[in-house]
Amino acid sequence: MPAVFTLLVQSFLGLTALGIVAVFLTAHFSAVPVKYNLKSVFIRWRSTVATVVGIALVVLVYVLLQSLAVGIEKSNASTGDPRNILIARKGATAESSSLVTRAQLRTLQYFEEIERNAAGDPVISADVLTLASLPRKGQGGEANVLLRGVTPRGMELRPQVHLVAGRWFSPGRREIVVSRKLAGRFANFDVGDTFKTGPTTLTVVGWLDGSGSAYDSECWMDADESRSVFEREMYSTFLVRPKSPEAATNLIRRIESDKRLQLRAESETGYYQKQTLTAAPIKWLAGFLALTMSIGAVFAAMNTMYAAVGARTREIGTLRVLGFHRRNVIATFLLEGILLAMLGGALGCLISLKWNGYTTATLSVESFSETVFSFTITPTLAAQGMFFAAALGFWGTLLPAVRAARLPVISALKAL
Amino acid sequence: MTLGGFILKNALRNKRRALLSVLSVGVSLFLFITLQVALRELTLPPEDLGSSLRIIVRNKVSLASPLPARQLQVIEKIPGIAAVTPFTFFGGLYKGDEKFTSFAQFAVDPARVKDVIVDAKMDPAEYAAWVADRTLCIVGLDTARRYNLKRGDRMQFTGTFYPCDLDLRIAGFYHGTADDRTVFFHHRYLDEASGNPGTVGCWWALASSAEEAALVTARINEAFANSSAEVRAETERAFQLGFISMWANIKVLIGSICTVVVFTLLLVTVSTMSMAIRERFRELAVLKALGFRRRELLGFILAESFGLSMLGAILGAGGAWLLYRNLDIQKLANGVFLAFEVTPRMLGMAFAIAALLGILSAIAPALSVARTSVVEGLRTLD
Amino acid sequence: MAPPIVSIRDLSKLYRQGDINVTALNAVSLDIELGEFIVLMGPSGSGKSTLLHIIAGIDRPTHGSCRVQDTDVARLNESQLADWRNRNVGFVFQSFNLIPVLTAFENVELPLLLTGLKASRRRQQVTTALHLVGLIDRQHHLPRQLSGGQEQRVAIARALVTDPPLIVADEPTGNLDAKSATDVLEILRSLSQQAGKTVIMVTHDPKAAAYGTRQLHLEKGEIVA
Repeated sequence: MPAVFTLLVQSFLGLTALGIVAVFLTAHFSAVPVKYNLKSVFIRWRSTVATVVGIALVVLVYVLLQSLAVGIEKSNASTGDPRNILIARKGATAESSSLVTRAQLRTLQYFEEIERNAAGDPVISADVLTLASLPRKGQGGEANVLLRGVTPRGMELRPQVHLVAGRWFSPGRREIVVSRKLAGRFANFDVGDTFKTGPTTLTVVGWLDGSGSAYDSECWMDADESRSVFEREMYSTFLVRPKSPEAATNLIRRIESDKRLQLRAESETGYYQKQTLTAAPIKWLAGFLALTMSIGAVFAAMNTMYAAVGARTREIGTLRVLGFHRRNVIATFLLEGILLAMLGGALGCLISLKWNGYTTATLSVESFSETVFSFTITPTLAAQGMFFAAALGFWGTLLPAVRAARLPVISALKAL
Repeated sequence: MTLGGFILKNALRNKRRALLSVLSVGVSLFLFITLQVALRELTLPPEDLGSSLRIIVRNKVSLASPLPARQLQVIEKIPGIAAVTPFTFFGGLYKGDEKFTSFAQFAVDPARVKDVIVDAKMDPAEYAAWVADRTLCIVGLDTARRYNLKRGDRMQFTGTFYPCDLDLRIAGFYHGTADDRTVFFHHRYLDEASGNPGTVGCWWALASSAEEAALVTARINEAFANSSAEVRAETERAFQLGFISMWANIKVLIGSICTVVVFTLLLVTVSTMSMAIRERFRELAVLKALGFRRRELLGFILAESFGLSMLGAILGAGGAWLLYRNLDIQKLANGVFLAFEVTPRMLGMAFAIAALLGILSAIAPALSVARTSVVEGLRTLD
Repeated sequence: MAPPIVSIRDLSKLYRQGDINVTALNAVSLDIELGEFIVLMGPSGSGKSTLLHIIAGIDRPTHGSCRVQDTDVARLNESQLADWRNRNVGFVFQSFNLIPVLTAFENVELPLLLTGLKASRRRQQVTTALHLVGLIDRQHHLPRQLSGGQEQRVAIARALVTDPPLIVADEPTGNLDAKSATDVLEILRSLSQQAGKTVIMVTHDPKAAAYGTRQLHLEKGEIVA
């Protein structure tokens, strides 16, 4: 059923694209009085403005919503190092719900696929992830924040994360470094502030920046400190660096096939790219709104264009008497409709740019914690918006244009 | 011919335009209602009788941190508490689901849960069977219907938060709560499967009266203050609202979309309707010449635009109401939405918007008709 | 002698109006020579306009043939007819039918857009046509900035600009004052006499009819004189 639906949607979009290309080709290779159209458009400026602004708003809603989904996806996609392997409990859907044991850590340390550092130790970081419900700034209520207990090795494995204010935490002390982007959203997150989680008071000693990755939604503290604060026997995940890509493949196979370990391994980047649950409903909403709003917009555009055809009956007849073909007339009106709609689309995209890069946050369905991301308007998204506008113009104008072309030539001679 | 007949004939003279106008208003109001319903559903979870009495106790750190099982003895003795049960979210994937299972599974104490989830109605024999066997579970009727489950069927879940899987059999079904989708199973089963960690996810308690509820939450919080596992006790409603507030800007988002939709609608409809009247300028001039006064012409215009937008409202808002009343929204939305109820208030808002539309779109043409002299009007389309 | 430019044989046009069949043209036969200025006269409903429309290729006969040069207009399809009109017929309407948003120059240029001529060549032809109707100094004016007579002269320039052999005019002076009407008629006459165009004009006005080289009277769908 969904496959059929997707196919339908795709063929519909394909048809629309073909139609639009056909209009532009006709306009390019045969005579269409483009100037005439452009001028007519401005004569009826009131309804023109209404149509253009209407389409601009439809495109704006679509582009902004999609830019949220794109922002979430981009933050996930730019997280991690492709050389790293993330190891979690089999069945766990998120790092924070994974549990791995010290026994597993000891086993892994002897795997020869894993890189050794100068001191000869395997490059493994055992992280501890916990959620802390903390108050937002102002009247925002409370939200979960992902706290990562991290080892020095874990910090080396994540060069994306760097300090932008204060200093790193010192082991053995109840200190924490929070993301600068979270600091803008939560109370008591300035350097030097303290906050309570459960019975423990933590001191913020620095701000980190994750370079646009998912780490921008985390707070970091020492792994052992975190285990003691939150009374955790176990770790959450392991992050390891294999010696080579071949070693990485072998390592994944070895871990997955070892029934005793009950672990799952995959590349760190791959793991984050699979986190699509949060963006999915936003995309769904964008699609639903695009569909319903465009139905309304097409009806309204049709109304405007029918009126335009009605008002220009004699002009159309005159064009036909002068020897313009039906296809010229159709192309004329379609071109007018599409260009108008694209003007609206461009306006919508331009307005949406105002939000580009603006940071916002929502609940990540995977990590069950506040995830910050930015409205991200990519060229692809803008192109989608423009195509969407052109499609609105095309479908809103098609029937009126056909009607215009079917007007009898003699109508030129009849006064209105 | 009566005046009303004249107005009707006028409005329907260009049937296509009348239809398109009505449809564009209708579609937009349909969308408006849909968004309002979704917003209400997301921000105001459904309630049942026990909602005002129920208290949820979670770890103060966050919902994800467990509580020690030994707290039960303390909570039980707190005055004003009628019943309490461990209530642990298992969050497993139902067999066949890959990423997401839309209904929850909770590990509870079967003997105690009945007195906390007071709205749940169960067959006494089925309940007794469930209490007796810790591999059995009780399934909400909505979920049972959706997956076509019968008594004795197996339900298997893969653990995501817990490092263990569940293999349960259905003892029976319950219904009558605000959300009849949950699967309840023995906490003892979970304890054994996960190696007896001695923890629970949350405590759910029932206050003996609504007046007591606020006092009881304070007493619970106090009882564990400065212990290693401080708790946050709050009423079910406060808990739900706190949960929703984690979604951050969603309310603002949907609210602003609604505004944009309504604004777009206003803009486009006002323009189309004005255009419709302008096309008829000469006719209106003729009416003027025949002796109709401005007031009456204004009436014609207003009646027409008002009528068209009201028709759109009936179609869009009424259509939404009918549709969502008869649609199995739970199945369609994969369990994200439960009731999807169109309230009278939303219908009222939709009709108010339509009325506003009707008036606004009459203003511009009415003004220009009033301003134009008969002679000018007759010349317009010559 | 050269063959006639228009050769009409047994031409009939019937159409239904409500429940009755109306005969607009009844077995009309007619030859028109190159360079003639034909005037079609007759009461309303006599079929003169229908005849004009069929010759101009904007209406179709029910029976019979209408050959213009070597083409049977009645046998062309919609699309061929459009091209044929563009090359062979210049049309002048009673109500001018200029495109209100285009300047005089652009209005005249309009039919040339279909010809594939280069812009410089188009400009040259438009200028020539506007010179011919004496409106080169008003070329950048919009129709509403022109008088009725000027508008009609622009319309004539538009009819001329593709250099068609046939100029067809439907009551070209019907909306004009006497002075403007004379101007327009003079231009039409000079087109037939000096430029060798064949002009066919429908009119009610006997003074206008006097400009023609041959007057045809129609009544009830037949040529009576």
